[in-house]
Amino acid sequence: MEQYLGVFVLIVLGALFAALSFTASRLLGPSKPTVAKRAPYECGIVPNLEPVQRFPVRFYLVAMIFIIFDIEVVFLYPWAVIYSQLRLFGLAEMVVFAAAVVVAFAYLVSNGALDWGPRKRIQPTVSYERTAETTLRRLPPGGRAA
Amino acid sequence: MLQAAFLILALPLAGFVLLAIFGRRLGDPAAGYLGALAIAAAFVSALVTWAGLLALPSASRQYQQHLFGWFSAGSLKVPVALLVDPLSMTMALFVTGVATLIHLYSVGYMRGDPQYSKFFVYLNLFVFSMLTLVLSNNLVLTFLGWEGVGACSYWLISFWFHRPSAASAGKKAFIYNRVGDVGFLVAMFLIFDKTHTLNYTAIFAALHGGMLSGPVVTVALLLLFLGAVGKSAQIPLYPWLVDAMEGPTPVSALIHAATMVTAGVYLMTRMSPLLAVSQTASVVVASVGVITAFVAAAAACAQQDIKRVLAYSTVSQLGYMFLAVGAHAYVAAIFLMVAHAFYKALLFLGAGSVIHGMHDEQDIKRMGGLRRYMPVTAATFVVAWLAIGGVPPLAGFWAKGDVLLNAWADARWMWAVGLLTALLTAYYIGRETVLVFYGPERWRSLGPTSASDRSDAHGNASSDPHEAPAVMTLPLVVLAAASVLGGLLNLPFSGMDVLTHWLSPVVTAPRILSLGVSARWTLEAADAVVALLGVALAVGLWRKRSDRQALEPHWLLAGWGLDEAMDRIFARSGTRLAAVAADGDTRVIDGAVMGVARAVRYGGARLRLLQSGYVRNYALGIALGTVVILGYIVSRAAL
Amino acid sequence: MAVIAGALAIPHISYISILPELIAMGAPMVMLLWSATTRSGGPGRWTAFTVVASVAAFLASVEIWVKVGTHPYTAVAGAILVDRFSAFLSGIFAVAMGLFALLAHDWAVREDESGPELPALGMLSASGAMLMAAAGDLVVVFLGLEIMSIALYVMAAMNRRRLASGEAALKYFVLGAFSSAIFLYGIALTYGATGTTNIARIASYLASNVVVSNGVLLAGMAMLIVGLGFKVAAVPFHTWSPDVYQGSPSPVTAFMSAVAKAAGFAALVRVLMEAMGTLRLDWQPAIYVLAVLSLVVGGILTVVQRDVKRMLAYSSISHAGFVLAALQSASAAGRSALAYYVAAYTLMIIGSFAVAGHVGGPGDRSQDLSSYRGLSSRHPAVGFAFTILLLGQAGAPFTTGFLAKFYVVSAAVGNGSYTLAVVAMLSAVVTAFFYLRIVLGLYGSEEPSTPEGPPGVLEPQPALVGSVGEPQASHGAEERGSVVVPEVLVAASATQVIEVSEVGAGTSVVLALCAAATVVLGVWPSPLLDLAKAATIIF
Repeated sequence: MEQYLGVFVLIVLGALFAALSFTASRLLGPSKPTVAKRAPYECGIVPNLEPVQRFPVRFYLVAMIFIIFDIEVVFLYPWAVIYSQLRLFGLAEMVVFAAAVVVAFAYLVSNGALDWGPRKRIQPTVSYERTAETTLRRLPPGGRAA
Repeated sequence: MLQAAFLILALPLAGFVLLAIFGRRLGDPAAGYLGALAIAAAFVSALVTWAGLLALPSASRQYQQHLFGWFSAGSLKVPVALLVDPLSMTMALFVTGVATLIHLYSVGYMRGDPQYSKFFVYLNLFVFSMLTLVLSNNLVLTFLGWEGVGACSYWLISFWFHRPSAASAGKKAFIYNRVGDVGFLVAMFLIFDKTHTLNYTAIFAALHGGMLSGPVVTVALLLLFLGAVGKSAQIPLYPWLVDAMEGPTPVSALIHAATMVTAGVYLMTRMSPLLAVSQTASVVVASVGVITAFVAAAAACAQQDIKRVLAYSTVSQLGYMFLAVGAHAYVAAIFLMVAHAFYKALLFLGAGSVIHGMHDEQDIKRMGGLRRYMPVTAATFVVAWLAIGGVPPLAGFWAKGDVLLNAWADARWMWAVGLLTALLTAYYIGRETVLVFYGPERWRSLGPTSASDRSDAHGNASSDPHEAPAVMTLPLVVLAAASVLGGLLNLPFSGMDVLTHWLSPVVTAPRILSLGVSARWTLEAADAVVALLGVALAVGLWRKRSDRQALEPHWLLAGWGLDEAMDRIFARSGTRLAAVAADGDTRVIDGAVMGVARAVRYGGARLRLLQSGYVRNYALGIALGTVVILGYIVSRAAL
Repeated sequence: MAVIAGALAIPHISYISILPELIAMGAPMVMLLWSATTRSGGPGRWTAFTVVASVAAFLASVEIWVKVGTHPYTAVAGAILVDRFSAFLSGIFAVAMGLFALLAHDWAVREDESGPELPALGMLSASGAMLMAAAGDLVVVFLGLEIMSIALYVMAAMNRRRLASGEAALKYFVLGAFSSAIFLYGIALTYGATGTTNIARIASYLASNVVVSNGVLLAGMAMLIVGLGFKVAAVPFHTWSPDVYQGSPSPVTAFMSAVAKAAGFAALVRVLMEAMGTLRLDWQPAIYVLAVLSLVVGGILTVVQRDVKRMLAYSSISHAGFVLAALQSASAAGRSALAYYVAAYTLMIIGSFAVAGHVGGPGDRSQDLSSYRGLSSRHPAVGFAFTILLLGQAGAPFTTGFLAKFYVVSAAVGNGSYTLAVVAMLSAVVTAFFYLRIVLGLYGSEEPSTPEGPPGVLEPQPALVGSVGEPQASHGAEERGSVVVPEVLVAASATQVIEVSEVGAGTSVVLALCAAATVVLGVWPSPLLDLAKAATIIF
């Protein structure tokens, strides 16, 4: 079990750090709540449950790109440790690995994964299988309200 | 040179494929010329291969060309491989040669037919199958060719399938041939069972190695002979050939006279090393042959239809060939086969020319005096008559003489029947020739029979008969020349018996005739006299008159009533049996099938409920399956 | 990997030995880069590029086949086995990859997709399959399995406008991840029992040691069987396949049914026959049961379907039963029967789904049996090719299907598994009914009718329809997986009128190749048969 000691210490340290941060902010931050401050909105009806938050799907894309490079870096660490022993072979393999990731990155960028502005490519917004008939069925005589 | 052997097969196959794809676009007559060209090219490759074979020393004239493995099952390995030896080359040469001429003839004969290109598609496929049959080095591939020619024959007999008679004739040919094929198949099983091979050379080696006992050889030969009887239209399986005349005339010439029907003779000749050790089988073959020869010749004397006479004549001549095979005179059989191919093809093409010129009239009683209108056809027809009748020095005289000599040496009664048949042969073809080309022009007074329902393509009516175009008469002339000179192949003089020498490595030599020179000449002279007698009888009896009821009894016209008998015994009782079987089928078999189907449906309807569409259920199913398999396998563990 | 302190053994990598895999992995990279730099042009260039890459990969496989001869060796530190078996299968995968690219081309044109994604993912997936067939280590098998599967999950979802496609991908993904986990657990247990994940070393360990307490080893083996059994869709791990096959775009279904199964069988051969051949008596009964279940359930459920893609899914389950029967015999005859069956099946199933892709029309919607009515009068060549392919699958003589089934049954008989042989033949008969039903429909008259028409009207076999209590009702909710599919879309697809549409160029080529191969190799079986025998002779 000796070899797990480091892990255990890390866990304890992490927990301590988190607990310390929360306590510190609670203690140090000014806290003067009023009724108006605690309401979600300062006007209108008081909601009885939190509304679902909406994220742009791009957020996930960026997160995934980040993970890819994250993993690359994770691989780079052990590689760097024994790089001197691997010599040219190691360099070549890592270049191949990095190239694969870069190609994927280039593909993603060219497809607009990092564009935050309005969409450039116009995708049909209407379902492909939608016809006049289905639209009528979806919108009964009463209109949308129904 | 010898390596060109595969081309003999490949070229007709290529012709078939090209015609099948582009034939309709090529149209009339380009498709016909393409078909003829493919066969002519095959003929040239056969010549080249032949030259290669000639270059070898006589004893080692055998070449096997392995093209590719076809299939194998256990110890049975069937390659697509060719056996090039004198026998197969003789067959290949005359098949491609005659087929080229008949293709050329068909270019003219079939003109205007709505299915023009289809005809040549079938014809090329037929030639390919026939060549596969003769060039194969094993029984299985031969059987493939055997079935191939059968299928083509079926398609071509019923080529004008909108005529009910043609359609039923095709069916008839098919069924009669199936009866024979059963024999062929069982023989193959038997031979494979005993020798573990179906390669010809290996079978003969096994025979010499003593792996085949006498009774086995006899049974195998008799079974193969059953196949040959079907294919070569011998008693009792010949009625289909007479009905096969419903097909276009070039088909009758190529398939039902020159080539396909001789496949049985070829097969028996190929198997001659086996025949040599089985006297029983030989006697059966010879007897069936000679009896068929006589019976068919007699029936031919009473026929009214120009092609039916020739059909019976073909059956009769094939009987002669089997007589020769049974008498161990294989060279004589092949000699007669080649000679017969020439003059019988000529007769059929001549008949076709007449039918063509007479606007689809086939009744010889409604013809007469045509020699004035169709001089080339008439002249070549007369040559063919004299050749088949055995008038010296034409091909038929030497070929038939050879057969009869051997028959004399084998069994006297066969010789006697054979000689009588020779008389009839010269007579009935003479009767036909005289009625068609000589005498009064009866067609002027009698008018056509039933030309309206015969829908050959060329039904455009013009009054007088006319000679056929050059593309049709050219083959006639070539075949006439071959019929005259064919005897040169194998003259009974020492040093001039080319065919005997050529075939000697393949077939066992003919029994050394213990006949003195004088006896031989006497026999040959008897043949000649009989032939001339037949010719004289025909001219004398039919020159002036066309109705001699006494000479045309009804039972002969009906072919000894064999067709009717077959129909009554087999077809009708067969139909009754089939009705009973069909009843049983609906009750028992269908009941079982429907029961299974119902059970499957029911089971399926229950089982599909498991397929819920919910991933959680699927995952549960997989998990349960895992647990069961895990539990089972781990339970086997020695924990 | 194994880092040894001090001197590090750098593995010698013979790149030529993994050339097919390298091509199949490198080509998509090039294609993605290409697509990143250029924007114009349709899917034609991707198709052309993929076909070229497939040909290259095929030639590389041939090169390996010729070079390796009967002397197999290992490459990349024992992680890759180079032998004729792997070369044979990479050849098949290369062919499947090329055929898939052709089908994907027609699909992309029809659905107005111009990206390189579909062919690129196909190649990646094929590279994973090749890796599975060539794997010399259980970890490499897993690596190949994941490369292949992850690409397939995305490919299944490729039809973004069709909800069923997304549903298929999600089901496939969730269940696939589930089975991967089981497979991985199996590897871990095997490692625990034998101390290695290398296939050759497992074999030699088992051959030289008697494992007294073999519970862990057998549990590991059972889990490996389950993991691969999922990939080949053997009953009871088949439940995903009808839904996924039905929902995925048809070219993807074609690829999936051919490649994923073949790779699964290749891995089963590697794991069971090669690594655990000595445990034969333990795994044979399990495979036997899987085979029987697949044959029976696949056969029976085939018959009651009306959606042709679903039918083909069930029939391919019964095909899997046949291959498992060959595997179960654990003999040389069984191995060559397996290789032959896989090769023949690949061509037949890709061709069949090619037709389904054509008939399906935009969005792959018209897959009801009625949509196939009169296909032969609309497109005689397509109808004829489909007939050949269906008869081949039914096992009609003079097709590769007949020989494949024949060799499987004779391998089973040679092993003494008579019951299995009988079940296999009965299943062939039952599924033949379904194939013939489609064939009859192909040549039947075209009736412009909706599936909601009176029951029985569309049934080509009126004699049998009477026995079905619910000819129409049961195609509804429980079968479709309607949890996700809204009623609206279902209705919209059902009322689609059959239109005569052009047959795409790629589809035509694929059909011609597959149908011709099915007949030619059925009439002249020696070449493929000899290849299959040579591929499996050394073990």
